Amino acid sequence: MSARAGLLVVEDLTVTLPTTRGPVDVVKGVSFTVDRDDTLGIVGESGSGKSMTSLAIMGLLPRGATATGSVRLDGEELLGRPDRELRRIRGDGISMVFQDPLSSLNPYYTVGLQIEEAYRAHRGGSRKAARAVAVEALTQVGIADAERRAGHYPHQFSGGQRQRVMIATALVCSPSLLIADEPTTALDVTVQAQILRLLAGLQERTGTGMLFITHDLAVVSSLARRILVMREGDPVEYGEAERIFSDPHHPYTRALLESVPRIDDDAEVWL
Amino acid sequence: MSASSGEPLLSARELTKTFTSRGPGGVLGRRVAFTAVDRVSFDIRAGETLAVVGESGSGKSTTARMAAKLMEPTGGSLEFAGEDVTRAEGPALARFRKDVQVVFQDPYSSLNPRHTVERILMAPLDYQGIAPKGGRRALTKELMERVGLDPDHSQRYPAQFSGGQAQRIGIARALAVGPRLVICDEAVSALDMSVRAQVLDLLRRLQRESGFAYLFIAHDLAVVRRIAHRVAVMSGGRIVEAGPCERVFADPRDPYTRTLLAAIPRINPAWDRARRARADRASDPSQEAPHG
Repeated sequence: MSARAGLLVVEDLTVTLPTTRGPVDVVKGVSFTVDRDDTLGIVGESGSGKSMTSLAIMGLLPRGATATGSVRLDGEELLGRPDRELRRIRGDGISMVFQDPLSSLNPYYTVGLQIEEAYRAHRGGSRKAARAVAVEALTQVGIADAERRAGHYPHQFSGGQRQRVMIATALVCSPSLLIADEPTTALDVTVQAQILRLLAGLQERTGTGMLFITHDLAVVSSLARRILVMREGDPVEYGEAERIFSDPHHPYTRALLESVPRIDDDAEVWL
Repeated sequence: MSASSGEPLLSARELTKTFTSRGPGGVLGRRVAFTAVDRVSFDIRAGETLAVVGESGSGKSTTARMAAKLMEPTGGSLEFAGEDVTRAEGPALARFRKDVQVVFQDPYSSLNPRHTVERILMAPLDYQGIAPKGGRRALTKELMERVGLDPDHSQRYPAQFSGGQAQRIGIARALAVGPRLVICDEAVSALDMSVRAQVLDLLRRLQRESGFAYLFIAHDLAVVRRIAHRVAVMSGGRIVEAGPCERVFADPRDPYTRTLLAAIPRINPAWDRARRARADRASDPSQEAPHG
């Protein structure tokens, strides 16, 4: 297979959820590609199907949901794989960072132990070796005094630091693809800026492909090379970031861009 | 309507809120005091919008709650229309509630799910013991029309509305008693981008029509830029900078304000300019080919 085949190739992905009023397609024939060292931004409002798309890729759809089409990582088909094999791929091949770090971390275990477990689940090895990897991972995401901090519990970290811990956990097995689902939405704007810089820096160092899911066009504008706009399960517009932002073709993309409040000098003044 | 000068409508002087809790050591521990709001002063004039911005823990929501008299200040004073309302109770508090209304962040949790829109919108009048002029149904329909809701839906329940529509119900409820000040506590934060823009436009239009003032609490400077006449930036329980909206955005003087402004994610300005130029060309009729 050629090197430019794409790290993650999604073709005609359709996700169907059972409801009391019969099956409903929440993702309708979505196709896109993420390369190594590349970021794709999926942008949409609530109910657009952007999170269902990422859960389908991870094989984490809710019970009863079905996914059709094709999701290939490094040429390997993921849809229809048994859970046992998907567990191996999750964490090792694909990792995920969610919006709310507090609900993703176990409050009863130290963050060091949680990162160690993520590592040993895929790579095995001794506790001691895993601890060294965990401390290194925490250092990589900018947690100061990582050796001591590895022994602390999630509640002893601020919101931004917790998200750094989640990113360390996600990256500890050097996955080829990182899915970040609204990773900065719950954070203050100054902390958000730090986390975005961290993600961009880590990608530069490791070459991880990234799928960045957000409702915020401004957040994704600095990060993504390509953009997919979704609405009510439909892929609305897909293309290079510069083209989408400077020459949006679809009326919905235009409306979304219109709704971003401007903050710089030429913003319209109202009095 | 432009901001009028003269006497302030609401005047906060050195408002302070201190919370105490048990420190390390549980119930046997020493009491530890935490000052959430530290001597905060501001004025809001009739018809103007003052935005208070800050990050989590800045004290902005505590400030809003004290200004709305939903929380007692530990120190300082609050005046409304020249009257000291810091410790107002009974009829004086009832008068204050008629003049000052609040719109909350989460429209669903601030609307009773078992009540119809009509009952929700009439509740403030019921509490005030005011008979709606023209009858309940007529006033409900009028309020729904003003906020852009279908008046035929007055007998529906909150769950039957989208998030943006539910927030419009919250806004209509605040308008029911004809307030002079509306306090919006993160009133658009929970809404989708496109819906947020519509609700902000609605808030501006209502102010133009009715001339009330807003105290607008937000963490999002881009939203503030769109609605405020004046801005106060809070950090660590204090106002670190305050001034006209234009000035604070164009020439921030406090280092924290600068950090906050620099952290706002922006769409690449060149791309944005190109898009707007394209949109202007498309909407300019002189550029279109003549018909026929």
